[in-house]
Amino acid sequence: MELTQVQEDALIELLNIGFGRAGASLSQLTGHRVVLEVPQVSVHPIAELEAVLRAVVADEVASVHQIFSGPVAGDALLLLEHRAAGMLKELLTNEAPLPLPLDASAREVLTEVGNILLNACLGTFGNLLQVQVSFSIPHLNLESVSDILRSLLVQREGLRYALVVHAGFRLRDAEVTGYLVIVLSVASLDRLIRAVEQWEQNDGGLQ
Amino acid sequence: MTSSLDSDLLNIAVLRWLDTLAQQGIFTTDRDLVIRSWNRWLEEHTGHLATTVVGRGLFEAFPDLEARGFGGYYDGALGGQMKVLAHGLHRYVIPALDAPDGELRQSGRITPLELDGVIVGTITVVEDVAERIVSERELRSQIEASDRARALAEEAVQVKDEFLTTLSHEIRTPLNAVIGWTKILLSRPVEAPMLARALEVIDRNAVAQVRLIDDMLDTARIMSGKLRLETGPVDLARVALAAIDVVAPTAAAKNVALRAEFEPEGLMMLGDADRLQQIVWNLLANGIKFTETGGAVTVGITSENANLILTVADTGEGIPVDFMPVIFERFRQADPSASRRHAGLGIGLSLVRQLVELHGGRINVTSRAGEGSLFTVTFPSRPDLASGQSLAADARVALANVRLLVIDDQPEGRDLLTVALEQQGAAVTGVATAAEALALLDRSSRYELPHVIVADVGEGADADLTLIRPLCARSPERGGAIPTVAVATYDHPRSKRRVLAAGFNRYLAKPFSPDELAATVRSLLRG
Repeated sequence: MELTQVQEDALIELLNIGFGRAGASLSQLTGHRVVLEVPQVSVHPIAELEAVLRAVVADEVASVHQIFSGPVAGDALLLLEHRAAGMLKELLTNEAPLPLPLDASAREVLTEVGNILLNACLGTFGNLLQVQVSFSIPHLNLESVSDILRSLLVQREGLRYALVVHAGFRLRDAEVTGYLVIVLSVASLDRLIRAVEQWEQNDGGLQ
Repeated sequence: MTSSLDSDLLNIAVLRWLDTLAQQGIFTTDRDLVIRSWNRWLEEHTGHLATTVVGRGLFEAFPDLEARGFGGYYDGALGGQMKVLAHGLHRYVIPALDAPDGELRQSGRITPLELDGVIVGTITVVEDVAERIVSERELRSQIEASDRARALAEEAVQVKDEFLTTLSHEIRTPLNAVIGWTKILLSRPVEAPMLARALEVIDRNAVAQVRLIDDMLDTARIMSGKLRLETGPVDLARVALAAIDVVAPTAAAKNVALRAEFEPEGLMMLGDADRLQQIVWNLLANGIKFTETGGAVTVGITSENANLILTVADTGEGIPVDFMPVIFERFRQADPSASRRHAGLGIGLSLVRQLVELHGGRINVTSRAGEGSLFTVTFPSRPDLASGQSLAADARVALANVRLLVIDDQPEGRDLLTVALEQQGAAVTGVATAAEALALLDRSSRYELPHVIVADVGEGADADLTLIRPLCARSPERGGAIPTVAVATYDHPRSKRRVLAAGFNRYLAKPFSPDELAATVRSLLRG
């Protein structure tokens, strides 16, 4: 399933609203201007996800994983390479984390960063679809991309798709890149994309 | 009705029991953010009692939360979102009554409270992370300390590498002079003035070599904490004069004037005469090294209050400002490059400082570029000690009419000992082994017996077996009472102990001067 240019543009625009909200939260928390941007988004069958991720991140990553449920259900993950995770933590808190494995304080900060970003994006989707999305407690894991995908695959049956969103954090003259992965059932994705198109025609196009 | 009441009471009992177990703060609100429960942990950790907060609006009870943006988090929770509160970003969740906010270490999370798919309120969990923060901080400072230690170790390795390069150069230079002149002397007959010049150069360089090795050995001993002072009453004036004598040829060769500005005797202190001389010698050698031809090095000693103040001033180039802080550190040289103009190992001044401190003194240096340097050493003085008690370092001992037996299996060593003692007027017989020596004693009448036996004992391992035991077993008429001097290859406390324990009367480690050897022998002569 490939997104049309119109769909992709609309999705980026919508995600940027959520990212903007997350950036504002982080700015308020840290006292530094934090800008979050979505330069790129793509959709892949989950079977292709490993190849897609391997092309952009190292095998070992820090991931914040949150399960969401409701009329639209799935898994949301923020993936950060270890170096990026440490750098982001340092930029946000003015304190370098201890060397790997990341210390508990760094994990907690990164968990909140993932939590803010995932909440903002999924909250935006929920508003768009006018449904309430519930979230599980987010967890931070340090593991390999293939282990993450294995745990995603064993969880649920059925054909699913992954929305892969490049997430650029810009703060204090530095840039850190992470990847947001939202795994949805075909039905959920279909619903989302149709709603996005609708939004683009009604509201988004007017902005 | 009774059963429903029972079940309510049971529920309350269970909740209270659970409350005693909680390791976290837990409070709940309804959809209007009115606090509906507040657990015991929160009472204990924040000082706010359930009776004072339950039933009040969250932001009315804690206005600080709203100011910190928690309104949005609770709105999100009522909309189904779960919110993580990291200590690193929030520092704390619920302020305490009796602790400044800055001292609180909390993290937490806000979760929607759902019942059958309907959000009925929020639940907030608060955790005290103070211990975690402390242990992370400790770990962090340990890591930083080990990083610093690694950097220091790397620097030490570099300093040591530079030192080794310098060392090989410094050892080679005097040896080249000795070998060069020796080859000339061996290859052809030379005139007397040339011979005198050659011997002077060989002597000067050999002495320099001995000093260099002494300094290195002492540095090693100090580093391993094994340097021991042999303390006694010392006249610092005599020590300084002796040191001036040692460096006089070097100063003369460079045309640097040496001035002694102090009373020639009576400046008494407690100390190790050899080590004190080493201090003065090193300061003088340093001053001469950095003073241009035509300059001067001046030694002064004054007595002030309860101190003796030794000063060594030169008219040299002065010390670079950036080198001053490390001037007394080991292996440091202002210019460690191979092309440097001044020789030296970079251990002299560090050794001086260590020896000064071992004497309970202190050393300072002041310097101005181009105007020379002034080293000031302060020792505790002991005017109550009489000058006459001073060790006779300057005694020129004659060994006229003294019969000596020298034992050394190395012909060169035997010759050296024999010549040195003969120069003092002694009659010397040299043999290679203890057996030969004992045989010689057997052949001697009691009037021919040597006054003293000087034996090279190498490292002292089996000296007792071959010579001393058979000797001590003899009657006085056959040599059993002859005092003995053990000459050791190098100075080692263990070898000294062993040798003296075996029965030798004196212990002398190489290298030593003919005067020292003669003084040692003389100290054993009766009458």
